[in-house]
Amino acid sequence: MFPKQLENILLKVQKPGRYTGGELNSVIKDKEKVDIRFAFCFPDTYEIGMSHLGMKILYSLINEREDAWCERVFAPASDMEEQMRSLNVPLYALESGDAIKDFDFVAFTMMYELCYTNILNMLSLAGIPLHSSERDSLSPLVIGGGACACNIEPMAEFFDFVTLGDGEEVTNEVIDLYKIHKRKGSSKKDFLKEAAKIPGVYVPSLYDIEYNGDGTVKAIVPKDGAPEKVTKRTVKNLDTMFAPSSFVVPFVEVVHDRTTVETFRGCIRGCRFCQACFLYRPIREKSPEVVERQCRAIYESTGYDEISLCSLSTSDYTGLEKLLNSMLDWTIPEKVNVALPSLRADNFPEELMKKLASVRRSGLTFAPEAGTQRLRDVINKNITEREVLSTASLAFKGGWSAVKLYFMIGLPTETDEDIEGIANLAQAVVDEYYNNPDKPKGKGVNVSVSVATLVPKPFTPFQWEPMITPDETKEKQAKLLSYIRSRKISVSMHNSNTSFLEGVFSRGDRRLSRVIETAWKAGCKFDSWDDSLKFDVWMQCFEKCGVDPYFYTARKREYDEILPWDHMDYGVTKQFFIKENQKAHKGVTTPCCREKCAGCGAAAINGGECSEIRKSVV
Amino acid sequence: MRSVRVWFKKTGTAIYISHLDMNRCFSRAVVRAKIPLWYTEGFNPKPYLNFLCPLPLGQEGINEPLDIRIEGEISNDEVKSALCAVMPQGIEINRVTDPVMKTAQITSAQYKINLVFGSEGTANEFCVSADEIIKSGRLTAEKRSKKGNKTVNLCEMIKAFAVKADGCHVLTETETATGSSSNLNPDLLLSALFEKIGLEPVSRNISRLCLLNENGTEFC
Repeated sequence: MFPKQLENILLKVQKPGRYTGGELNSVIKDKEKVDIRFAFCFPDTYEIGMSHLGMKILYSLINEREDAWCERVFAPASDMEEQMRSLNVPLYALESGDAIKDFDFVAFTMMYELCYTNILNMLSLAGIPLHSSERDSLSPLVIGGGACACNIEPMAEFFDFVTLGDGEEVTNEVIDLYKIHKRKGSSKKDFLKEAAKIPGVYVPSLYDIEYNGDGTVKAIVPKDGAPEKVTKRTVKNLDTMFAPSSFVVPFVEVVHDRTTVETFRGCIRGCRFCQACFLYRPIREKSPEVVERQCRAIYESTGYDEISLCSLSTSDYTGLEKLLNSMLDWTIPEKVNVALPSLRADNFPEELMKKLASVRRSGLTFAPEAGTQRLRDVINKNITEREVLSTASLAFKGGWSAVKLYFMIGLPTETDEDIEGIANLAQAVVDEYYNNPDKPKGKGVNVSVSVATLVPKPFTPFQWEPMITPDETKEKQAKLLSYIRSRKISVSMHNSNTSFLEGVFSRGDRRLSRVIETAWKAGCKFDSWDDSLKFDVWMQCFEKCGVDPYFYTARKREYDEILPWDHMDYGVTKQFFIKENQKAHKGVTTPCCREKCAGCGAAAINGGECSEIRKSVV
Repeated sequence: MRSVRVWFKKTGTAIYISHLDMNRCFSRAVVRAKIPLWYTEGFNPKPYLNFLCPLPLGQEGINEPLDIRIEGEISNDEVKSALCAVMPQGIEINRVTDPVMKTAQITSAQYKINLVFGSEGTANEFCVSADEIIKSGRLTAEKRSKKGNKTVNLCEMIKAFAVKADGCHVLTETETATGSSSNLNPDLLLSALFEKIGLEPVSRNISRLCLLNENGTEFC
């Protein structure tokens, strides 16, 4: 539902179906009969947010509770925001149409740093004071979660607390605790002190940060009994873990409009740039029977014609063949497409590829990430050119004629030769196509190369590395384009300014809160959208606040520097990251977890358990 | 393989669902309903759906036809009850029948339009003026088409028009040309009237009651 005042303006905005609610499987409850109102906010548009698996999981999980009602909230597009502001309609939740300022929880999921201004904008649209310190009453509590929670310092002033790691258990624990305090009429301060005792809950206001003269962190001091280190939450058993049996089915087209089921969490590969790999360790697999059952349930309740098996590296799932062999038995006759994102080039059986292509042929993507073997060794992307080419060849034989290749620039130790290597590898794929006698008849090949800029992230072996500047990025991008000779290769590159801002906030500290607020006041929002990023305004805001953005990106950090996120514990140890960083600079690879346990330390926070350790013992 | 005609009602928040989205919505609904479907042949098999006369965004439809192709033994009533169980809020299934007429036989549609004005005075003024204009037989507007814009006389596409004021409300019942050869969207008629009279309502509700053929018989 939507507020009545909007009735006359909905036809004046783009895609009104994003603002009306009423989608299939959306949960409507009697608000008189619930104790807890929970607004699950996604700080981007409906199309992006409705593709987000985490939201679907927690939406169903909270709504399983009789005492709570979880509703969805998205960032309205500019035209809608204008209408809402002019009619004084505060940000509302899609299910009830009620203003979220009266809710108990206003929770944001944060998948990328460039959503921060959208969070402020949504709070302002809701009529909720931005700063945690300005909100005296117990509710609404403004909370967060998602990948960015691992270093929420740039947003520390705005959040009451964030949760680290898997949300399936901690969300209910937080709601239970809140319920007690709401009944008691506790103050927010008292509640937060108690909440900080729940493992995985980080209350920024309970930590004082001291700085050195050079701007680096001197000390992180917990107070009021807050733990010295906040340990992320890890769900031990994915088979018994809560999983949704239905998804809300949007009317308007969203980015990923399909059934998505996780196969495992964590990643065995250990690519040194990849934050997700280390944040979600240890490896925990779901058994194929459970995955299949969950796929079937969601497919039947939604009618989606595509199922996506999701994980960080789907072909590493040990149950994959068993799962597909059983699942394709019903998906093929029912015309359901099975998509496997995040496939690796080196370990995918030909038979399976044929079967998968039997309903609808989806795209084929490889991520060599670097152009030369030397640099791939540095980043520990253990994949060879031969493997890329032979898998591409197999695919061409199977009828594919379009291949997507992902690369990064700005990697540590990178030289011109590595940039040229990107062009060479793309060219080799083109040549592989034309040298293949079994290639599709009468069709040209299309190799699209997507080039991102490395953003060194917390909790990776590259967390100490300097990031290249926007100017260097542009220079390297131009160089790469000059090496491309074939018209069969199309290149798309990430906006250098976007990557730069991402770099600032990824490894930022609390002094950035003021910059973000200033930028939002100056009209910055939807910063991840190239057409709405106001980079000049951002740079002016850094200057106005006396903050040097290059302090966060361009500087090489020493191993003994206190990092702004050092009071977060994601399992993988700092010693491991240091060792990996050193190996990177020597160009030495680390075998994947399945070959040999690298001793990252993540299993310790899971009672010593990791699917891979179990396997190596057996 | 045979075609069945599904008659549905689209009201409430569902009026904000575009035609393209309706297509997606029904292709999922037929899967959820486990109706034995006939799929299009080709690289990208899809269930066959044909909305005979797509409803513009923002308008209600009381009895809209959609043809789907099914395969296997299933009665029209079974199709209806299977679909009824899986539709989202705002879309209801009225009936499922065998298709009798062809799409091309649709020539007009009946509408009920409710306009709410700021005051009784403006409602009355609009009502009187609108009646005069339509009776005069000339109301021109720019009509967009693939070949470019052209000015047309809307009155030539109006088969019936009755208007009355009731307080701040203006209730209009009209029948306008509908179909591939001649088509008048009541949205266009209304905006032409608003412009000519110089009055805008605060809200509007357009409801398509039924589709008719040449002889004025309800399309079936």
